[in-house]
Amino acid sequence: MRHTEAVFPLTYAAHELRRRVGRTILTALGLAAGVGLVIGIVGVSDGLDQAQGKVLAPLRSVGTDVLVTRVAGAQTADQANGNGSGNGNGNGQNATNGQGGQNGTNGGQGANGGGRGGGFFGGGGGGAGIPGVDQADALALANENKSVTTDLAKLGKPGDHFVHDFFVPGTQISFPQEAVVQATKTPGVTSAVGGLSMQATHQTGTVPQIVAELQTGGEQVQQTVMPPPLTDAERQQVRACIATEGGVQGGGGGGAAGGGNAPPEPGGGGGGGLFGAGGRGRFEQCLPPRFQQYIATFTTPLRTVRQALDPPSTDIQSTPYTAAGVDPAHPDEGLITSSQVTAGRWYKTGATDEVLLNVSYANANNLKVGSDLPVNGTTFHVVGLVSPTLRGQEAGVYFPLGALQQLSGHADRVNVLLVKAKDAGSVDAVASALRKQFPGAQVVTTKDLADQVTGSLKDAKKLADQLGGILAIIVLGAAFVIAVLLTLSSVAKRVREIGTLRAIGWSKRMVVRQMLTETLGIGVLGAVLGVIVGLGALAAISALSPSLTTSQPVVPSAAASSLARIVGRTAQVTGGTTTIHLHAPVSASNLVLGMGFAIIGGLIAGAVGGWRAARLRPARALADIG
Amino acid sequence: MASAPLYELIEVSRFFRRGPTEVRAVDDVDLVIGEGEFVAVEGPSGSGKSTLLQLLGALDRPTSGSVQFSGRALETMSDQELTDLRRDGIGFVFQQFNLIPTLTAHENVEAALASTGLHRDARRERSTEVLAQVGLAERSDHLPSRLSGGEQQRVAIARALANGPRVILADEPTGNLDSRTAADVVGLLGQLCDDEGVTVILVTHDENVARRTRRRVAMADGHVEVKSPYAPKRTAATKKRTRPLRAR
Repeated sequence: MRHTEAVFPLTYAAHELRRRVGRTILTALGLAAGVGLVIGIVGVSDGLDQAQGKVLAPLRSVGTDVLVTRVAGAQTADQANGNGSGNGNGNGQNATNGQGGQNGTNGGQGANGGGRGGGFFGGGGGGAGIPGVDQADALALANENKSVTTDLAKLGKPGDHFVHDFFVPGTQISFPQEAVVQATKTPGVTSAVGGLSMQATHQTGTVPQIVAELQTGGEQVQQTVMPPPLTDAERQQVRACIATEGGVQGGGGGGAAGGGNAPPEPGGGGGGGLFGAGGRGRFEQCLPPRFQQYIATFTTPLRTVRQALDPPSTDIQSTPYTAAGVDPAHPDEGLITSSQVTAGRWYKTGATDEVLLNVSYANANNLKVGSDLPVNGTTFHVVGLVSPTLRGQEAGVYFPLGALQQLSGHADRVNVLLVKAKDAGSVDAVASALRKQFPGAQVVTTKDLADQVTGSLKDAKKLADQLGGILAIIVLGAAFVIAVLLTLSSVAKRVREIGTLRAIGWSKRMVVRQMLTETLGIGVLGAVLGVIVGLGALAAISALSPSLTTSQPVVPSAAASSLARIVGRTAQVTGGTTTIHLHAPVSASNLVLGMGFAIIGGLIAGAVGGWRAARLRPARALADIG
Repeated sequence: MASAPLYELIEVSRFFRRGPTEVRAVDDVDLVIGEGEFVAVEGPSGSGKSTLLQLLGALDRPTSGSVQFSGRALETMSDQELTDLRRDGIGFVFQQFNLIPTLTAHENVEAALASTGLHRDARRERSTEVLAQVGLAERSDHLPSRLSGGEQQRVAIARALANGPRVILADEPTGNLDSRTAADVVGLLGQLCDDEGVTVILVTHDENVARRTRRRVAMADGHVEVKSPYAPKRTAATKKRTRPLRAR
């Protein structure tokens, strides 16, 4: 019986809503406005989520959880620690403060040799005076970037045509490839892969006549170490020594050491390799070596470099690009992965003369799969095009790691470690283990990068999350209040009608149900209109697509290098800011949510209106008469 | 007992407090109305006749005294019981018809049947029946706004009849009608009284209307002056004769 009973209220409600179409529409529009706004806000919030996801997606897509780099000038906890190994191995070459003795033109070779900062990341103390870069870094950097100071004159006789590619790691200090193995052994690490990221400059032109002579080096470097106390045996030795040499006052130490010519000490030489200790007294010479280095004053060797400085008189054309070294044996992890190959194929195993090109680089340079790319005497074959996603580490040309190491004079060295953790939960533990293992390194997790997202995107996101919620509540509240007020006003206008219903035998329950049925209808109408309004709002947002900037997560890279500017030869520094156009997506859940709110609003209005109507005395049906 | 009184009012008062003053709308009224009577309650505005009608219609409770409907004291009944009583035993006719403007004549009648749990088809059947009884069979699908005043009041009477009430309470039923239509409506009510045995109590201040009833009760200042006494009449033979009544 109940269901047949319900038919009448429905008919009644339908007639009522149609008849009082003005009020129905007005109330529904109020709800629709609220719902539309809520849909809009949720859509914007979704859009911001998507935008943020887009910024962070590259990091996720490469399957890398932790990036390890060493960037000069970057703040790290261990920055001041010059890592002792840089001090060792003076090789007994006691350099005087005297100048000369270097082979000025040999700077370029030096780059191919060793003489890098000691240890994996540390460097000897130094006073190179590059602003913002500490001394240890400065020395390491100077070594890293030696090839840039190559004398153009070496490319040929003045007037000859030359084509040459220079590779500069910028502020990314390299470290031995064995760090990869070490990282792999770190607990919680599934795999680790090394990469080499280089700024490259492709230069063509005529070897210039006019070269400038530059002198580099000669900076004073002071370093203090705290040696352990003398052992008894050493004390004996010192006494014996002083007894032998006693009283003899020695002059400054002898022969000059050619810095550039110093035989490299792979992985160890560092500052010490380049610089000998200054002259010292006889007494000091009797001390064990570590005391002799108690205070070491070094002078960086002088080099004379001839190069064209801003050569206006020649036709040298520089084309900057970014080069990356990728381990062909790791198609799943690295600066580029096989999944990002959009045309052609991944490297053949053991390939040394194959390159992958960034699609945009290939387009810009009219290269395609099958093209040849000669670089400094080696002809590389383009075997594939890739669409890289790891921002900041993006490159134009992807060389096999070994090939780029050779080209850039970084044999067996890498400057990026890409580490994959066992699971998401162990990322932080892995990161801190790596920090311990590689003091002075920048260890960045993808989560860190996510936290670094700044700019208007993040502001808008915050705004949408905080203010958006409040705004939605206010607007919905206002819409509900309007619906309630309109319903109450409707009840007030229908006092006699309601009284009549009560007089002819309607119970309070029936009156309330009637009100609810009517406002539910309004709620449904409001939901439909609200969805239309909301879809319109979303479409408008997407059409306007307001641009938001985000300073994307800073993946330490050569591109962001301050040294790049100092050296003055590298590609334009690509900023870390990305502009993202906000797109407000339409999602079913959003629409359902909005419709739900409209219906809830209708029910609230009906409940309040019904409550009010039920409280009317049925006698009011007659009271208005007369 | 040939005819037990339908209503028995014993010392009924209904006072309203309006600010500091107490309005004695109905003041110590004793009244008996029998089954099948056709009664006019007369009196000037503010004499308390509408309040009396509310008390009779179970729309209000007396401040004191007892209103007995068929032996049941209304003042002791719950809201739900009063609602049920209004639905089953009482039909209302109002001065301004009080039809629901958004519903057709049919639907207005069915509104009175909505609370009965009657099936839709049965509701429509009953609605058709009572609309025919008041002579509106052809216009039953019209909205009130498409009907004349007299027709609207006929719909209202049909609605009042829908649940087969024992009494029809009419509050100035002709107040909004011209005299000819008013006469028709009063004639219809009298006919219902005669033919159906329905008690009809109408409130009016129109002498022409009051004259056509069979008993006149005058009110002034909340007091009742019985002009003609309670006089049970009617025979069982005249009851329950259903016949469509033509309007005109």
